[in-house]
Amino acid sequence: MIKVRYIFLAVAACAIVSLSSCNAGTPTAENTGTPVANSPQASEAVSNNSHSGHGSKNQININTAILSELDKFEAKLAIPALSNKIQANRPYASPEELVSKKVITQEQFNQIKDMVTVQEVALTGEAKDVDYMSKLGLMKGHLIVAKELLDQNQPKQAEPHIGHPVEEIYVDVEDQLNERKVKEFKTTLVTLQDLVKSNPKAAKLKTDFASSMQAVDGAIAALPEAQRSKTGFVLQVINELLDSANSEYGAAIANGKISAAIEYQDSRGFVTYANQLYKGISSQMAKDFPEAHKSIETSMAELVKTWPTAIPPAAPVKTPNDVTKLIKTIEQNSQTVIDKSSTQAQR
Amino acid sequence: MPNNFALGQENLWSRRQLLKLGLAGAGVTGATALLHMLNAQSKSIVKIPPMEAIAPTNAPKNAANPMQVLRNFDYGTVKKENGRTIREFRLTAGTSIIQLNSAVSYNIWDLNGRIPGPTLRAKQGDRVRVLFYNQAGHSHSLHFHGVHPAEMDGVRPVSNGSAAIYEFDAEPYGVHLYHCHIEPVTRHIAKGLYGMFIIDPPKPRPPADEIALIMAGYDINDDNRNEFYAFNGQPHYYMDNPIRIYQNQLIRLYVLNIIEFDPAVTFHLHANFFNVYPTGMTLTPTHKADVITMGVAERHILEFSFRYPGKYMFHPHQDAIAENGCMGQFEVVADSKNAISTPKNSLQ
Ligand SMILES: [Cu+2]
Repeated sequence: MIKVRYIFLAVAACAIVSLSSCNAGTPTAENTGTPVANSPQASEAVSNNSHSGHGSKNQININTAILSELDKFEAKLAIPALSNKIQANRPYASPEELVSKKVITQEQFNQIKDMVTVQEVALTGEAKDVDYMSKLGLMKGHLIVAKELLDQNQPKQAEPHIGHPVEEIYVDVEDQLNERKVKEFKTTLVTLQDLVKSNPKAAKLKTDFASSMQAVDGAIAALPEAQRSKTGFVLQVINELLDSANSEYGAAIANGKISAAIEYQDSRGFVTYANQLYKGISSQMAKDFPEAHKSIETSMAELVKTWPTAIPPAAPVKTPNDVTKLIKTIEQNSQTVIDKSSTQAQR
Repeated sequence: MPNNFALGQENLWSRRQLLKLGLAGAGVTGATALLHMLNAQSKSIVKIPPMEAIAPTNAPKNAANPMQVLRNFDYGTVKKENGRTIREFRLTAGTSIIQLNSAVSYNIWDLNGRIPGPTLRAKQGDRVRVLFYNQAGHSHSLHFHGVHPAEMDGVRPVSNGSAAIYEFDAEPYGVHLYHCHIEPVTRHIAKGLYGMFIIDPPKPRPPADEIALIMAGYDINDDNRNEFYAFNGQPHYYMDNPIRIYQNQLIRLYVLNIIEFDPAVTFHLHANFFNVYPTGMTLTPTHKADVITMGVAERHILEFSFRYPGKYMFHPHQDAIAENGCMGQFEVVADSKNAISTPKNSLQ
């Protein structure tokens, strides 16, 4: 074994210097950790109980909001790519951290501070629908890949992808299902999972699977058709799906090999569904936004090649870096479309 | 704390001394712990032998670094709000790779780039605020052991790319843990989303060389059985790199068993007996033992000191588990003149 010595001395020493200078003159309380430097809220007595109180309707949670929601700040302050910058600097302990983390200036913050929160906000309008559809889209992606694996007689590999929709997503979307009067389908998913685990050869499996898929489709159909065919809306959902696919793909690869099949398959499912969604709006896109369309279509076609089969290939077709790049290109192009379509809608 | 530390003052801060504090390689997060240790050092004569932080393998990116886990406590960022001490911790879930041995690498979920996650430490009565950011693909969450309201229980999924804030009072004092609580929890924990959470009693425990040991298992083929086991993330690490401690020095071990799939394991220390503080929730030991049984998520404070120099193993007495990586040793170094005598609360 080669012994590597960690020499982070410079870092440690710098830390001592900065700590001691912060501390100068103030008695250090027992167990006091890193003192807060330049944090505006440190001196204020801000009550920030994240579990108490409700955000007002117009507020946006900068910790959880989707990109297109963050665009409201971008529009108000006219700072290009602000949404991405806000996202990149997560998490925020308080709205004021937008300033202390140098995302925006104090002056800019003053203009938007009534709109910003870190407390849970009930989503409204389009953002709520995008959130709902994205979560169902992730469920759909899991089920798509599960179906492929079942068809290839791989129930063991299919099982986690039947489990994930209910384990990781269902609770999060449950309230919305009730609100939108969608019949609960947790039972359907759990029944299918039980069957795959205990008796994957049962003939009933096919019909159980079909009803799970139908249940998710039915939940998606609770959104008005007009909404679901709007390019700006669908692109937001696609971005959410691709973002998860990107992280999952990165989690699948170690030392240049696909070592985690589950994560590889998850990302395959998300991209497959994102691609299906894009096919649904592509003629509209070609007509209204030919340039963005061309770029998205090319990148999407390239992206899909990353997952040639449901069972991972011996060697990855693309590196996580390549996948990230393609997804970023799609995201950037769709963002211009989303921005345009939302301003059009306001007129 | 004196403010005359400066770069280049070799006499004050030699590399060796930093290593002695067990913090070289700890990076910026270590700074918090460093500050605390300096405070602690000025008040007591706790001695920690010099030790090099040896990377577990020569892999380019290995999220496991047991030497960093050993004596590195994260006290958070301290704020005062409404006259109360708030400790703010930031934990980001990501994805990374560990090298279980020279031939096997394994994809894990990390917290702040490491496995196990940082050992968070607060004092009973502090307000704890944890900012959890999920960048690890799947939905994840952080569930803390302790007493808190239902909304703060951390069983709600936090979706990829979003952040959640958990806030609660630190109580009761003891050695606790936190972990992801998304199903299948076995998988989410075994792939790395866990860490130790220590709440110190209002009146601090006596000075000691404090050490965190977390036992975990790795199920590398998703068959719901562990193929590898480890202390502080890396199989066999402390066998190859013994933990150096001083002879007659009071050692306080915070031991957590987070091995999934095996219902219980023991913790056995060679050639000695330890005082047991169950779940760290007493200030006096309840008994003395050299083997203690721990179910999943069970944890205790164990105190002892070694009378004779030399190397002494520690491991679960389920020897198959030990042989698959959950095994280590202390190297007791002679230094009689500066060490504290036997444990204060000794039953003997
Ligand atoms: Cu998790």
